[in-house]
This record gives sequence, structure tokens and C-alpha cells, in this order.
Amino acid sequence: MSEYKTDVPYGTLDLLILKTLDTMGPMHGYRIARRIEQVAENLLRLNQGSIYPALIRLEEQGWIRTHWGISETKRKVKFYSLTRAGAKQLSVAVANWERATALVARFLEAES
Amino acid sequence: MKLRFAAGRLLALVRRRRLDGELEGEILAHLEIAEFHAIAAGLSPEEARREARRGFGGMEQMKEDHRDQRSVRWVANLLRDVRYGMASLARDPGFAAVTIGLLALGIGANTAMFSIVDAVLLKPLPFPEPERMVRLWEAPTPTLHNNTTTLTFLDWKRQGAIFEALSVEEPVRAAVATGADAARLSGKLVSADYFNVFGVKARIGRTFALGEDQPGATPVVVLSYSLWQTQFGGDPDILKRDLALDGESHRIIGVLPAGSFDRDEARFWKPLIFAPDELNRGQHWLHVIGRLRAGVSIEQARANMSMLRAGLGGVIPQKDLGFAVDPFAQFLVHDTLRRSIYLAFGAVLLVLLIACANVANLALAKGATRRKEMAIRAALGAGRARLIGQLLTESLVLCLLGGVAGVAVAYLLLHAAAPLVMVLLPSTADLSLDLRVLAFAAAAVMAVLVLTGLLPSLQTSFGKLSSSLNQAARGSSGSSAAVRRTIVIGEVAASVVLICGAALLFKSLAKLQQVDAGVRIDHVITMSADLPSAAYPTPESAATFYEAVVERLRAVPGVEQASLSLDLPLQGVRWGEWISLGGVKEALLVRVKMVDPWYFATLEIPVESGRGIEDRDRAGAPPVMVINQKAARYLSSRFDIAHPVGRAVGIGLPGYGPIPESLVSVQIVGVIRNERTGGLHEPVEPVAYVPLAQVPRQDISLVVRTRNEPLAAMSGIREAVRQVDPHLPLGEVRTMEQVKEQSMLWAKQPTWVVGAFAGVAALMAALGLYGVLALAVTEQRREIGIRMALGARPGDVVSHILRSALAMLIVGLAGGLAGAFALTRALKSLLFEVSALDPVAIAVACVLMTVVGMLAAWIPASRAAGVDPMTVLRDDG
Repeated sequence: MSEYKTDVPYGTLDLLILKTLDTMGPMHGYRIARRIEQVAENLLRLNQGSIYPALIRLEEQGWIRTHWGISETKRKVKFYSLTRAGAKQLSVAVANWERATALVARFLEAES
Repeated sequence: MKLRFAAGRLLALVRRRRLDGELEGEILAHLEIAEFHAIAAGLSPEEARREARRGFGGMEQMKEDHRDQRSVRWVANLLRDVRYGMASLARDPGFAAVTIGLLALGIGANTAMFSIVDAVLLKPLPFPEPERMVRLWEAPTPTLHNNTTTLTFLDWKRQGAIFEALSVEEPVRAAVATGADAARLSGKLVSADYFNVFGVKARIGRTFALGEDQPGATPVVVLSYSLWQTQFGGDPDILKRDLALDGESHRIIGVLPAGSFDRDEARFWKPLIFAPDELNRGQHWLHVIGRLRAGVSIEQARANMSMLRAGLGGVIPQKDLGFAVDPFAQFLVHDTLRRSIYLAFGAVLLVLLIACANVANLALAKGATRRKEMAIRAALGAGRARLIGQLLTESLVLCLLGGVAGVAVAYLLLHAAAPLVMVLLPSTADLSLDLRVLAFAAAAVMAVLVLTGLLPSLQTSFGKLSSSLNQAARGSSGSSAAVRRTIVIGEVAASVVLICGAALLFKSLAKLQQVDAGVRIDHVITMSADLPSAAYPTPESAATFYEAVVERLRAVPGVEQASLSLDLPLQGVRWGEWISLGGVKEALLVRVKMVDPWYFATLEIPVESGRGIEDRDRAGAPPVMVINQKAARYLSSRFDIAHPVGRAVGIGLPGYGPIPESLVSVQIVGVIRNERTGGLHEPVEPVAYVPLAQVPRQDISLVVRTRNEPLAAMSGIREAVRQVDPHLPLGEVRTMEQVKEQSMLWAKQPTWVVGAFAGVAALMAALGLYGVLALAVTEQRREIGIRMALGARPGDVVSHILRSALAMLIVGLAGGLAGAFALTRALKSLLFEVSALDPVAIAVACVLMTVVGMLAAWIPASRAAGVDPMTVLRDDG
């Protein structure tokens, strides 16, 4: 099974994180990573560590914000949540993605 | 959004440590939670730990990743590039030295020149609110400016609503006893308001108080800082001391601050107290300066003055005479000086441009050899921006070093040139490397960076990767050769512009030097003296002195002839008067010169008709006058007097000391050949000579012709004067040659400055040409080798290289000539009897540039001819 895992498509990790935060509400890094893996039902090969640079990037863009919370291991950790700008960005990114996949799908259909 | 982004990044740089710590904490928490869940899912602690780490992925790489994003990477890059740049410069010290040297010269010369521009043109008056400072004149016609009379000055002085301060300014010289020897010092007679015009306060004590310029006031004097330092050794108790001026004791009331007044000729200032007989409207002698009240515009002042003039109506006899108010700064800088400075600044900018071109060319050539390095870096993943950044940083290091060296060069240049240049600049000019000048130097460095850094770095980083790698491996030239050739052509063109300008100026100077001064120049020495009123109270006493001193001087061994006169040739004549002719309403304005009977003989000025001034023309004898040819021509053309000798004319002549001017009827007894009284470039003025014995003066010049080297006779001359008057100091000892030199200084200095810059420019252009050709020869060694192997003779190779040099030179010459023609207007006003399109000068410029260029091309060409085909082909094969 694991042989068929694909890498996270280039540029989509941000989208996945934003979508995750949109549907699940505030959560910490581990949960975000796990949630993405769960939704992908192990079809995805995600280095959980790689979400942190993405989170920092998103925070710098102003799309997510952080606050401190307590984890299930009773440790002080950062919780991430979507900002209003982030919600807007998400809808834009989703629309872009859908357009792109629709385009590619049309080509593939025409081919067959 | 963008802003916040940038701010976030900058903040991140500051918070980097803390964020790194936070991230570390977050990662640890992540692993802990992952472990926790793995254990909950039934894994052993050991396995859970491994699983958590596996899931997380490469930890160090992740951290590096994030750091790249978060920190402002360019800062780190910049530091690395600077380090790398330094190292790369150290690897190629020849390149670095040449580049820094070129830039230091260019930037240094520009900075020094800017300091002059700044001091003379941009902030000419180092006084508070200089725009309120004005000069006041009488205007006999709207375009003429003249000094005013005492009573008119007093009328102006009453316009307190307009002028905050108003003062006269009269140069004066006085003997100051310093130990055994008496020295003559320059000073100024001024109104009590004088220092208020400049807004200058005393450093010690005070300046003049109101009323100290009124009759009966105690004699007081203000000293310049330099006089205080030199004469009184900076004595802090100076205010308790007195200064004897021409034997009269003056109380020292103040010392001026160091600065602009030190560059003035004057060393002391004392109040001008009007004598009763000076209170008239006939003697136009006062030079007036003033400071407008705050808020009063110069137009308001002019309007007020013309109202005042209208109110004075008939009091002033000349009906058309008006009053003029001009900004003080206006007459400070002559048009000629202004143009000369612009010209020199333009020339020095061109030199900087050429220096930049050379540096850019060097960098391009170096860039070509570094192609491979750049290509490898690009292949290893360096972005183009990153490569350009690296190259620019290397240029920046060079430019900064060049700039620092340039400021040092500017400092040296200013120190070396100041004594030469200051003569021509107004005394208020403050030449220094201040903040403004340093800011200019910094701007120059930035401009140089853009000019020299950008093009080579683009050129070097643009090339296609694969071709660069291949080309570099083969070592042949690419398109950068064309760019380098174009730059050299530009250099040649700019040099030609400068050489043309210099050639024209030199030709103009030569013409000026050829002008016949009309007087003997060699073996003549001159000096000045002032007869103090105390020792020579009457005209008779002065006349006795004149006779005695000339007699003694003639007895000095080595002296051929000696004489006295009011002014020296080429220095201008101070006195001007109207000659009125009986029965004619019009009058002729002439310069008036008082000379003794031996003046014409000493300077070898021939008498054309009638006679010269003779010994019999003494006080009491019938008043006589000798005129020059120019005056005679005016008399014949305007007044139909073909034979002036024998005519009687009326003229106002000054009295001796306090004796007022008087209108005298004099007879013209002779006409002499023209002497140049003013500058050599000026038209000859009509001059009337009157006997010094009949119109005695206190301020006189001694003119002595010697058999041998004139300066060698000075000790004898001094001794002779001492025998007549042991207390009379002699000032301004100069040979006639020096007087002539000085009269041409205005033309000479710009010429030599532009000439020097043109020379530097030509050498730099030649260097550029040499560099390009030398590189081409190195790069084409293979080609040359093959051609020689196929039968080309060394001569063919040489001519091939020289032809390519000549092609560049010809294109450059064409461009340069076009530029020179376009700039003729700027030069025209500085040229004397030379057309700005003078074919000889331009031909000389072209030949010079070609010769210098071909010489530079000869070295690489002869090296190319020495190429041994076997070695080259074996080496590169």
C-alpha cells in the first residue's frame, strides 16, 4: 500500500492546511498534520515536519493566527486558526484549484 | 499587505533567536503528542518514539527551510558577498589597485571641484540670511554702476524702514609698527553699521557702536582674527592694547571670529568719519553695502529708492542718474569665473565618466574570464538575482574603497590648489570638505556603482549556461567584446571633447600672451608705497619725495631707469574723469593716470606726437596732459579734433589729501602710443596722463627698469628708498612679468585645469583602448596562430590589430567632434580671438588623440605579432 503513496502536490500544502483549519477550527500542529493524513486516508506521504514552515509562511501572510493553548500532553503549544483574510484566500485558492483540475480533466477526457 | 509582510520579515530577523526557540519547543511538543498517540495505539514507548520521528521527517532540513523563509536572507548574503568580494579582490590585487586608483582620481577630482562649486556658486555668502545683503549704487545710466557721493549716501542712510544696516566700505592701507620694521597692512574704512550688514559679531570685545563713525569720536579699530594671531600672538588681553595706524593710536575694541573675514584682504577695520569738505555731491567715491530689513524684498527696496531719487529731484545735478539696488551675491562671482567653474566642473565630470568607463571595461574583461565561475555557480543552483547581487557587492566594495581614497585625494587637491585658486575666488568663498561636499562624494560613489557595476554584472550573469561553460572552456570572446569596444569608443569621444576644449583654450591663451602690452615687460620691477598724511601733509612735501626717490633709485647699481605712477599697466586705472571741450556740450570719458616725467621712458612707451610729461611740468607750471592714441582717435572721430596737441580741455582732477577735486583747464601737449591699462583681452581704453608733480597722490607705484635680473636689484632699491624715508614700507613687490601673469590668471587657470583633465582623459581613453586590444589579442591568440600558420606575416597581424584600433578611434573622433561642436556655446565666451570651431585647434586635438590611441594599440599589436603559432596551437589544441 505504502508504495502507492504520493507526495503532497506542489503548492497544495497551504491549501490543505487552510481547508483543515476552516473545517476543524483552531488546532495545534500535530493535529493539523494528522487530520491531513487521515483525510488523505494514507494515500499521501506527508512529512509532518514540513507543515511548520508552511504554518509560519501562512502566518506571515496574515492568513492564520496563533494563540497559546494546552495540548493533550499538558504542554503549552501553539494553536492555529483561520483569519478572515485566510478564509478569503481559501475560497480563492479553492476556486483556482477547481479551475485547474477541471481544465486538466477536460484534456484527459478529450484524450480518451 | 506587502508592507506588513516586509515588516514581519524584518521583525523576524530581530526575533530570529526567539523564534528558533519557539519552533524547537513546538517540534518537541509535536513529537511528544505523536508519541502519546502512538503509545495509546498500543506501540511500545521505544517504537512510539521512532514512529513519531519517522512521521515528522527530516528535522534539520525543515528548520533550515523555515529559516530561509523567515529571516531576511539578503543580509546574510550581503555579508557573505562582501567577504567574498574582499577575498576576490585580494586574489587580483592588480585589478583592484587600478580600479580603486581610477575611481579615487575621478571621485577625488570631482569632490574637490564640487567644493569650489559649492563655495562659490551654491552658497557664496557664509553669512546669516545672505539674501538680505545688497549693494547700492548710483546708476548714471540704467546699465552703469557707479560709486556714490557722501550726501547721497547719507540720504540712503535715512531709509531706515528699508535697510536694517547700511555701510560704506573703503579700502585703506596703513603702516603698522611691528618691532623694528614697518609693515603696510590693508584695512577698511567702514560705517559703524558695517558688521551688522554681515550679521557678524566680535569674537572678543565688540564691533563698532553707533556714533563711533561721527566726528569727534575716539579712534577705535577692530582686528581680524588672523591679525590678532600673527601680530599679537593671540593675546587674550588684546582689548587693553592699542594699535598705531600710520602713527596714530587706535583703541582695539574687538577681534573678529576666525573665518570668512580672514580671507578678506583687510586685516583691520576702522570707522570712516566724513570730513566737512567731503559732505558734497560732486565726489563719487563711496562703495555702499546694506542689509534689508526682514520681509523687505529687493523690489520694494528698488521702488523705495526710485521714490527717494524722485524726491531729491534737482539736488542731484545729473538728471538721468538713478539709484540701483543689487543682491550682494550678484557681483561676487564674475560671469567669467562662473563659466570657468562650470567648464572645469563639466570637464572633471567627463573625466569621472571616462574613469567609470575604464572601470566598467576592466570589470567586463574580468567578467569574461569569470564566466566559467558564474556558470558553475548558476549550474549549482544560484539564482540570477543572487549572481548579480554578488557581482554588484564586489563593485560596491571597490567603489567604497575608491570613494574613501577619493575623499583623501580631494583633501590633498584642495590643499595643493587652494593658494592658486583662492586668488580668483571671492574672499567669502569657503573651500572645505564639509558635510555637503562629503554627501556629494557619497552620491558620486553611488552613481559610479551604478555605472560600473550594473552593466558588467548583467553581462556576466545573462549568458546561457551551457554556452558559457563551453565558451569559457575554449577561451574565446563573446558578445561582451562588442560592449567593451562601444565603451572605448565612448571614452575616446569624451576625451576628444575635452582635448578640443583644451586646445581651443590653449590657443586662446597663446593669443592673449601675444597681445602687445605696449610696455616693456622684461627687466622691470614694480612696488607700491603709501605716503602717510602725517609725514607728507602737503602736495609740496610729496613732490619733494617723488624727486628725491627717483634720483636715488637711478643711482642704484644695475638700475637703468626709475619712475613713479598712480597705477601699473594691466592692472586697471582707478581714476576716471570727463574731458570737456570748450564749446562742445558732450564730454569724453577717459581714465586718468598720474605719472612722473620718466614713466614713459622707463616702460618704453614712445611719444607719437608732441611731447611727453617733462621735468618742467611742476606744480605752479601751466597744467598739461598727454593722451594716448585711443583718446586722440576718439577726439578726432567724435569731436573732429584731428590735431589734439595744443588744445585746451577742462577736466576734474583730484586734490591732495583732504583738498577737494577741482575743475582745471589743461593743455594737451602730446600723444603717446597705447599702453594696455586694463586686461589684455579688453579693448584699449582712452587714457589721459597728467604730471604727478601737478596732481600729487599718496598711493603710488614705483616702476624700476634694471639691467639684469630685476629681483636682484631689490636690496639696492629698498636701501635707496630707506635713505629718502626710513619709515616708508614698500608693498606688492612684483616684476612686470608677474603683473602680466596675474592679469591673465582668469584665463590661465581654467585653461590649465581643462588641459590637465583633457590629458588625464586622453590617457584613460588610451588605457581603455589598450585594455580592450590586449584582451582581444589574448583571446584571439589561437586565431592569430592559425592565420600565421597559414602564411600571414607578423606585419599583417600588426596592421590587422592597428586597423581595428583605428576603426574605434575614428568612430570615437566623429562622436567627440559632434559633442565638441554641440558644446561650443559653453566655451565661446571664454575664448579670446579664437573661434570655438577653430580648425587648427580641432585638428590638433584629433591628431593628438589618434597618436595617443595608436601608441596604446601598438603594444598589444606587437605582442600579437610575436605569437608563435606552434606554441599556441599546441597549448590550446
